[in-house]
Amino acid sequence: MNKDAIRKQFPKTIEEIAIKDKRIFVMVGDISHGIFSNFRKKIKNRYSNLGILEPTMISMSAGMSKTGFIPVVHTIAPFLIERSYEQIKLDFCYHKLPGVIVSVGGAFDYSALGCTHHCYNDLSIMKSFQNTQVFHPASTLEFDILLKKTYKNKYLKYFKIPKVSHDINFKSNDIEPGKSIKIYNGKDLSIFCTGTQLKNAINLRSKLQKDGIKAELIYIHTIKPLDDKSIIRSIRKTKKFVTIEEHSKIGSLGDDIRRLLKDKYYKSLSFTLPDNFIHFYGSYEDICNKIGLNLDNYYTKTIKLFE
Amino acid sequence: MKKINSELRKIIVDVVTKSGWGHIPSSFSILEILKVLYFKFLKINPKNPEDINRDYFILSKGHGCVALYTVLNRKGLLSNKDLSNFSKVDAILGEHPDATKIKFVEASCGSLGHGLSFAIGIAYSLKLQKKRNRVVVLVGDGECQEGTVWEAAHIARNKKLDNLILIVDYNKSGEQLLPIDNLNKKWKSFGWKTFVSDGHNESELLHNLKKADKYKNLPKVIIAKTIKGKGVSFIEGHGPWHHKIPNKEEYNKIIQELSDE
Repeated sequence: MNKDAIRKQFPKTIEEIAIKDKRIFVMVGDISHGIFSNFRKKIKNRYSNLGILEPTMISMSAGMSKTGFIPVVHTIAPFLIERSYEQIKLDFCYHKLPGVIVSVGGAFDYSALGCTHHCYNDLSIMKSFQNTQVFHPASTLEFDILLKKTYKNKYLKYFKIPKVSHDINFKSNDIEPGKSIKIYNGKDLSIFCTGTQLKNAINLRSKLQKDGIKAELIYIHTIKPLDDKSIIRSIRKTKKFVTIEEHSKIGSLGDDIRRLLKDKYYKSLSFTLPDNFIHFYGSYEDICNKIGLNLDNYYTKTIKLFE
Repeated sequence: MKKINSELRKIIVDVVTKSGWGHIPSSFSILEILKVLYFKFLKINPKNPEDINRDYFILSKGHGCVALYTVLNRKGLLSNKDLSNFSKVDAILGEHPDATKIKFVEASCGSLGHGLSFAIGIAYSLKLQKKRNRVVVLVGDGECQEGTVWEAAHIARNKKLDNLILIVDYNKSGEQLLPIDNLNKKWKSFGWKTFVSDGHNESELLHNLKKADKYKNLPKVIIAKTIKGKGVSFIEGHGPWHHKIPNKEEYNKIIQELSDE
């Protein structure tokens, strides 16, 4: 299990970009200062560990965006997104200013730190704003490619970096902003998955295959813009679908997919976070097991779609 | 000068009365400040709102915007037609400025506590780029109750943003509900260079702006002592007039008082 690999990739990718593009300015909120030590040495005067004041860090970076910089703002998801909701909405989105927001600690990644450090809604908040793009890369290569391909476009980009990588190696050519990745073809069921849970989704697909069910598995790293066409095409073929994600149910990928289908009904299941605060501690895996983000739960419920 | 200001106040009242929208007392409170900024202090290229050498002005207390529109109009940066269309459905001017629609307006402010934080980003960028443009922000003393104002104050001091001048429209709106004990000392304690001025005396304001402009290494704040509703006796102070639209009789009385000045 590859923990913090994507977070460590972040300064490397942004350093490569910043060497070529002098407009990059990185602002962190008292986090990841250590992993940015090389960046700080090489990219002088374009880095600030600003302090513990997330809303103002967002507004300030919007002001920098207005004045020619490409701000890259980084800290822990609940403080960066939920605490700074109005600053993102007004200072970036209303002004149509571009920039890059990168978080760690989404969902329950800070598992033992409790609910104050959880963030169940970051993706739905960010996708609901105007002029945004939302990415959830769960491997280093995805992060690297998606950031490089989008950092200078006209949108405010949100990158949610999960603590644990799914450890699946994609080919560079397969990774394109706004495009899903078809991991397996199938005809009986569509499985849509975003984030670290891809590993469990692959195991689910294998287990179903032993029951004679051939599932199509589609991995989604770009939450907005969503790859509507591939999703609809797959569901029209298989007539059933399952979604798997570490996000609150309301505003989930599952919701988005159902909205795409308009009034057409298909048998489906959504595995999301519970509609409740997660009061457990322990490791990431401990919490996954407690709240049913695991193979056993996925399999037990999915197989019922075929009864 | 007084005559011109009374004329501008009449325009503000006309715009608000005709449209049925707007904050007259807040606009009266900041009129002289805006007039000094746009006619005597800010470097603006009337031919190019995006001029890279321009000074930036941000009206953080966006609800005083009718005064801003009136001054921009007098300066020739906003048409009469736009002003008379204020708050109509397709107008570019609404009750809070929309920077995506209005040339020469740098930021869309309405929700208090955003303008200064946005402005320190601009000021910091200009410093990093070694540019000499200045950034001026106008907040209300009521707005100084917002926590983000003090987050920004803290950063501005630490980054030594001496290209930034903040003006506090100290019309004591905040004191009606949650008084801040000695606003001047508060700003000083955050490490800012402070100045105090009569906010309706244009020469005193300009004098303080010039002094503030020359002062290096620190961000500067001018506490501008103003009167909410300045110029019309029964509007002055704090009460129902904050967002009230005059009826015909009240309108006539306001115009009469402004004409008598």
